[in-house]
Amino acid sequence: MDTSSPSAFVNGALLRRYIGQKVRTVVQVIGSDNGSVVGKSTDDLQIVVRGSSPPSPLTTYLEVIGIAESENAIRAETLTNFGNTFDPQNYNELCKLANGEFKHLFI
Amino acid sequence: MFSSSQFEPNSAFSGGGFMSSQPSQAYESSSSTAKNREFQGLVPVTVKQITECFQSGAEKSGLVINGISLTNVSLVGLVCDKDDSKVTEVRFILDDGTGRIDCKRWVNEAFDAGEMESVQDGTYVRLNGHLKTFQGKTQLLVFSVRPIIDFNEVTFHYIECIHFYSQNSESQGQQVGDATQSQIANSSVNTTFQGGSNTNQATPLNPVVSSQNNDGNGRKNLDDMILDYLKQPACTARQQGIHIDEIAQQLKIPKNKLEGVIQSLEGDGLIYSTIDEYHFKHVEL
Repeated sequence: MDTSSPSAFVNGALLRRYIGQKVRTVVQVIGSDNGSVVGKSTDDLQIVVRGSSPPSPLTTYLEVIGIAESENAIRAETLTNFGNTFDPQNYNELCKLANGEFKHLFI
Repeated sequence: MFSSSQFEPNSAFSGGGFMSSQPSQAYESSSSTAKNREFQGLVPVTVKQITECFQSGAEKSGLVINGISLTNVSLVGLVCDKDDSKVTEVRFILDDGTGRIDCKRWVNEAFDAGEMESVQDGTYVRLNGHLKTFQGKTQLLVFSVRPIIDFNEVTFHYIECIHFYSQNSESQGQQVGDATQSQIANSSVNTTFQGGSNTNQATPLNPVVSSQNNDGNGRKNLDDMILDYLKQPACTARQQGIHIDEIAQQLKIPKNKLEGVIQSLEGDGLIYSTIDEYHFKHVEL
C-alpha cells in the first residue's frame, strides 16, 4: 500500500498552487488540437491539457490526471471521459473542501 | 442492468447505515463502548485515511478512524495492475488519487467472474470490501465491484468521505460544520458554569452568552440568557436574588428589553421575585 503519488484535486484557481506536482481536475472540453485539449475548468478558467492521447470520441467532460506545468496547463498522464452529465459545480466545491479544511483526508 | 441494480442497495445501505441516528448516538459516548466495536456499516473512506489509521493504530485488533473500528469500507478509484492469472482470485490495485491499496477478490462463482470481466485497467470502479491486515500490510478483501457509469459518483464519494469524517469529529466534541453548533454551544456554556463557581463573578459567562446572541435568534436566546445567568452557582448562592439592573449590566442588554422577558419567565414559574419586585432568583427544583 503506497501513498507516494497522490494527486491534488484542483480547479482553475487552485492549479497554480501545485505547479510541478501531480494534480487531477475535470474540464469541460472546448476544443482539441493534435496532442492537446483546451478545456474550461469547473470555475470557468481556461486550462490546456498537453500530451497523452485523448480517448476518442471525447465526451463533454474530461478528467485529467497529470503534472501541472503552469497555472493554466497540465501535462496529462491519464485522461478519462467523464460523460456528458457531470456536475461541475459539485466538483468545484469538492476541490475547495479538499484543499481547505479536509486536506488531510486527501493529501 | 444486472450489476447496477444489484448494487443500488449497497449505496442506499451505505447512506442509511450511518445517516440514521443510532451510530451517531453511539459515538457521543466514550469511544470504547461495545457499540463502536460492533459497528459493521459501510464506511466511505479514501486510501489516505486507511493508511493513516493503520500507522497510528499499531497493535489494535482493527483499524480505527475517529474512534470507529473499520471493517467494511467503500472506495472509489481507478483499477491498476489487474492480475487474473489465478482461477480463483483476482488481484488488482486501486488508485483513488490519495493513494494506492492492494485488493483481492475471490472468484468462486460465475457471477463473480462475470463481474470482474467488466473491470479492466483504467476503469473507475466502486468497491465495497473488508479491510484486512496481513503481515504488516493492509489489504482490501473485496466483496463487490461495480464499474462507475455516472461520474458524479466520483464527486459524491469524496464528499461522502468528508461528510462521514466531519460528522464523527463533531460528536467527539470538535466544532466542525454548523449542524450541531447549538448543541455544542450549550455544552460549552455548561462547562463555563462549573468554572464560574470558583470565582465569584459572572464575567466568564459573558463571552459565551454574547456569541449565542449573535446567532440572531432574538427572543428565545434572551430567555435562555437570563435563565443561564441566574442558574449560575454564584447567583443562586445570593439569597436576596439578583437585581434586574445587575442582570441588564452583566448581559449587556437594555433593561426595558429584559422586563418583558422576565415577566414571562416569572409567569412560567421559572424565576421568582425575592425581596422586592426587582430582585429575582431562578426556581430550583
